[in-house]
Amino acid sequence: MTPAHFAFSSTFMLGLSGLAFYRTHLLSALICLEGMMLSLFIALSLWALQLDSTSFSAAPMLLLAFSACEASAGLALLVATARTHGTDRLQSLNLLQC
Amino acid sequence: MTYMMLLCLVGLVAGLISVASNPSPFFAALGLVVAAGMGCGVLAGHGGSFLSLVLFLIYLGGMLVVFAYSAALAAEPYPEGWGNRYVAVLVVAYVVSVGVAFWMFRGEWYEFSWVPVNELSEFSVIWGDTGGVALMYSSGSSMLVISVWVLLLTLFVVLELTRGLSRGALRAV
Amino acid sequence: MNPYVLFFLLFGLGLGTTTTFASSHWLLAWMGLEINTLAILPLMTQDHHPRAVEAATKYFLTQATAAAMILFGSTTNAWLTGQWDIQQAIHPLPATMVMLGLALKIGLAPMHSWLPEVLQGLNLTTGLILSTWQKLAPFALLLQFQTTSTSLLIALGLASTLIGGWGGLNQTQLRKILAYSSIAHLGWMALILPFFPSLTLLTLIMYLIMTLSMFLAFKLNKSTNINTLALSWAKTPALTALAPLMLLSLGGLPPLTGFMPKWLILQELTKQELAPAATMAALTALLSLYFYLRLSYAMTLTTSPNNTAGITPWRLPSTQSTLPLAIAATTSLLLLPLTPAMTALLKL
Repeated sequence: MTPAHFAFSSTFMLGLSGLAFYRTHLLSALICLEGMMLSLFIALSLWALQLDSTSFSAAPMLLLAFSACEASAGLALLVATARTHGTDRLQSLNLLQC
Repeated sequence: MTYMMLLCLVGLVAGLISVASNPSPFFAALGLVVAAGMGCGVLAGHGGSFLSLVLFLIYLGGMLVVFAYSAALAAEPYPEGWGNRYVAVLVVAYVVSVGVAFWMFRGEWYEFSWVPVNELSEFSVIWGDTGGVALMYSSGSSMLVISVWVLLLTLFVVLELTRGLSRGALRAV
Repeated sequence: MNPYVLFFLLFGLGLGTTTTFASSHWLLAWMGLEINTLAILPLMTQDHHPRAVEAATKYFLTQATAAAMILFGSTTNAWLTGQWDIQQAIHPLPATMVMLGLALKIGLAPMHSWLPEVLQGLNLTTGLILSTWQKLAPFALLLQFQTTSTSLLIALGLASTLIGGWGGLNQTQLRKILAYSSIAHLGWMALILPFFPSLTLLTLIMYLIMTLSMFLAFKLNKSTNINTLALSWAKTPALTALAPLMLLSLGGLPPLTGFMPKWLILQELTKQELAPAATMAALTALLSLYFYLRLSYAMTLTTSPNNTAGITPWRLPSTQSTLPLAIAATTSLLLLPLTPAMTALLKL
């Protein structure tokens, strides 16, 4: 395990645990998701760069496009939640538990 | 160079710690900015100047503007920074857990494992990643079509998700 | 919703699942899963009421996290072994990560709690898509990649069958009951996956047929809880006679279709000298059987007092097409004699 490998693995795990353990705002959860995607981008880029694999360098770009789609869908859900629930706190998303 | 790479990697992890420790969204967005900048440094240090540029443009130019806007949308009167007791406890917990993981996984890390060794770097005009991204337009064109199609799909998804809600704080005019 | 937009989104659902089916590279499989997640979000919030938006938000968060976990596992595998193929052998550590991501994606037991809440917020058509079509892409990945963590899958499977039976006991909402039944069936599939993957495929097909017939029956009755289900004798008498059989088939009683996967799984587990796990799974299936029986009781054996207008809706012609329900109900009742043909077909 090289230092770069350790760094992006720990960033992904930090983002995942931050998303899983405690979130006050929906926006914080989305930012954690973006942090996970950032570490994945760095992981894919470093894999391509360290192995001198030229053709794989396109993969981080595709990942970036897809994570941008994901982020925008999440922000649209944030707006929709702010409209229907009046707030973006995750505690208020409790209509469905019974 | 080793020192710079160390600084960037530690900054990357520290940025994600500041995101993951559940502060207010303003501060979390700031942490994501720091993490993205440090990630650019890591990629540039490994020779991926084009990917680094793209990361910088996308994260700082595009995504974080949107996130800052949304943070302003969902603003709260008393934001919690990292000085807040609850957030500080989480920061300390994450730092300790990353330290424990570092102590567990630290192997034979010598000086050259921090930076890539490329003895041909003086002779190459174009780095591999520039050519690799350009390949997406020739041999990877079907993937490009799928990406474009998904971006279009996202447009429809966003419009359908936020359309027709005439209630709550943000109304359609 | 505009029909062109609807077509576009349904095309997206098809494209996502097909991409995951056709991919041999983990990144492409991840892309297919993402397209699937994105395309179903507007279908979930068709009605724009707060419950639908909440369900879509929960679904998005869990699915995006699960997809990121899968991609991170495969990236770690590429860093450790240097290859991205799905079919190739995978390092044990990323195999566990990918397995946990897939379990979160389909809703296996320790990661199950999003599924009942999400399904409760949707209408029955979208719920049908969510519990049938959206399971296909993760199962394509589960069946393709070779895991070595047998004990993890057995633990996930047993926990799922237990939670799926236990959680549904106290529910009165039909969609939540169907969600817990989905968790229990997924537990059976996960249980047999390391030993006999084609049997997992058989169980998946049987589960899809049975849950399709249940969703279509509830949709024909326009019923989402037990109380409205108890009025179905006045709406569709013939279906009321068949529905308890469909429910018992979902529970896995012998002369019906649902017995086939449970029978074969128990037999295979016993052959693998896993009799305690087989006993445990069979006992937890009794818990599921309890709430299926309660649904059948409320549906067929109770006739509430009613006025004339309340007991004659069956005279009115129905506007819904009943042909898919007829086919699904027939297959979900009568496929057991075809067991040798099915096993021969799936073993190849």
